[in-house]
Amino acid sequence: MEITFKFQRGGTRAQPEYVDYQIDVPPEMTVFDALVAVRETQDGTLAFRGNCSVGFCGDCTLSVNGAQKVTCLINVGKTQKEGVITVQPIRYAPVEKDVMHDMRKFLWDKVDVFARGVVPNGGHPVTDEELRPVRKAMRCTTCGLCDEGCTVIDVNLDFYGPAALTKLYRFAFDPRDGITSERLREGSEVHGIWDCVHCWEATEHCPFGLEPTHLIMDTRDRAVAHGIKSGYGNKMLERHYDAFEESISRKGWLDERSVALQTYGGLIKGGIKTLPLGLRALRKGKATLKPHYKRPGAEHIRKIFDRYNRDNAGLRKEKQR
Amino acid sequence: MSHRFAFYPGCVSKGFCPELYESFVRVAAEFDIEVEELKDVGCSGAGLIPAEISDPINARTLAKAEAMGLSLLTICSTCQGVIGGSALRLTDPAYRARINREHLADQGLEYQGTTDVKHFLWALVEDVGLDVVQSKIKRPLDGLGFSPFYGCYLRRPIDVIQRPERKLYLEQVTEALGGTNVDISGKGKCCGFPSLTANEENAFAMTAKHLGEAVSKGADAMVVPCPLCHLEMDGEQSEVEKATGRQFDLPILHLPQIVGLAIGLDPKELGLSRHMASTKKFVAQLQPVGSLVGAGS
Repeated sequence: MEITFKFQRGGTRAQPEYVDYQIDVPPEMTVFDALVAVRETQDGTLAFRGNCSVGFCGDCTLSVNGAQKVTCLINVGKTQKEGVITVQPIRYAPVEKDVMHDMRKFLWDKVDVFARGVVPNGGHPVTDEELRPVRKAMRCTTCGLCDEGCTVIDVNLDFYGPAALTKLYRFAFDPRDGITSERLREGSEVHGIWDCVHCWEATEHCPFGLEPTHLIMDTRDRAVAHGIKSGYGNKMLERHYDAFEESISRKGWLDERSVALQTYGGLIKGGIKTLPLGLRALRKGKATLKPHYKRPGAEHIRKIFDRYNRDNAGLRKEKQR
Repeated sequence: MSHRFAFYPGCVSKGFCPELYESFVRVAAEFDIEVEELKDVGCSGAGLIPAEISDPINARTLAKAEAMGLSLLTICSTCQGVIGGSALRLTDPAYRARINREHLADQGLEYQGTTDVKHFLWALVEDVGLDVVQSKIKRPLDGLGFSPFYGCYLRRPIDVIQRPERKLYLEQVTEALGGTNVDISGKGKCCGFPSLTANEENAFAMTAKHLGEAVSKGADAMVVPCPLCHLEMDGEQSEVEKATGRQFDLPILHLPQIVGLAIGLDPKELGLSRHMASTKKFVAQLQPVGSLVGAGS
């Protein structure tokens, strides 16, 4: 079929400069292979990334007709709209030339931080059953589409992002690994797991169904079990979690006033920080001074927390060592 | 026809967003939504508390609604998403049996895995119906522009929201009320609230982006179905203005408030005067009740 590739070769995302290339290819040909065909037959200077062409390496990620795709996994026939396929760089990756991304800056350097291999704990060989929880994360090709969808990377490219944190998951929870606690502390550093806003975009964007947001949330849960609520001494973050837990386990629900005060450093420090906004809220009738009462049945909620803390006491001791 | 639900208001609608709770109760009555409020249940965990704790807490809530033979109604997207996520995990019989055994059995409770968790937005469209909503309009919101802001949990993950068409309900409601949608690119993104303690700079950057886009596109107000988004967009708006040096002055309305205004309820009764970002200019733009005939009335 006759296809026109509108290929971005300059300009910005908002004001792209396109060059058109016409080519006749079979509809079942992948978009990536069709781009290679254009480069080989028409213009050898076209710059884009790509490697394995079978959905394994994650290198050929591009914005295609405005949606982000691994281009070797989609075919020309289904992708074209009225014979046109528009090709642009993905949103947040720096561009080196045309649609060739600087993947090192965007992704690989971050993934490398968490890519230190398994440090044997002496427990192997492991069974298939034991390895199952990390098998999903092992299938990540670092195509970067989760980072492309990430709400936090949208405002701060320094955030490690879901792809790198998936790599953290892959090693931290490998049953053969002996340094899980250390990895969780590394992942809790600034720009790490606690900066994730759990918006579920990463899970929605992953073309392989690996659910990266779920993996990050699971990592956070397990960090808490290890007694890690901030890996870089962010006391506010630690106090926030503790205040949240204290409020729910004591009263059954959230008392925002006490949580806000404790988060910002207790009655005096927190009082000073929250005073101006608090006073305005009081004046408007948005907030009252009345604290939340203890909910009926709060003792049942308390028991759930107690059991959790009892079950995880061993992991917390590991952190202190 | 009346619609009965077990009602889970969430902590924030009874804390820093009392106007959400009150406007919902007022509006629900107008649409024959009968609610039985669950008072002896726990906080959903809000995505902060590990699932190992929040799943049993939410199983307890779901079991109580199930015993009443009712669906669970929420007015907070975060409660909706977190309890909905627990409900999804609890469809696994082995997991459910363990939670029942370890956490609920001693209270004489058992969750069978059948409770439907529904946000007010979904109930309004699916149970009440937009035709009924339109038939009650006494003050169409003609000429006013609203930026719908879903936040995260009413858009994703798809297996928790269950139906993809739910991703468009907010626009359908504002249009049914006579308002004009002012679409913003981040309407399904994070408002910034969950990052306030971890990374305030990131949180404010997100908030500023959404508010700025809505204002530059001419929105008169933003509509949110989540009190946490409200705390961020409304409560923190002045802080975001200080931090970014930009001025927004954008009123942020809870979903029940915009519905209440269109069916002729008093802005003060709906709690509009209790917001941190002033709603005065917006309220002045409202037409008097009964002054215009809406599409469905």
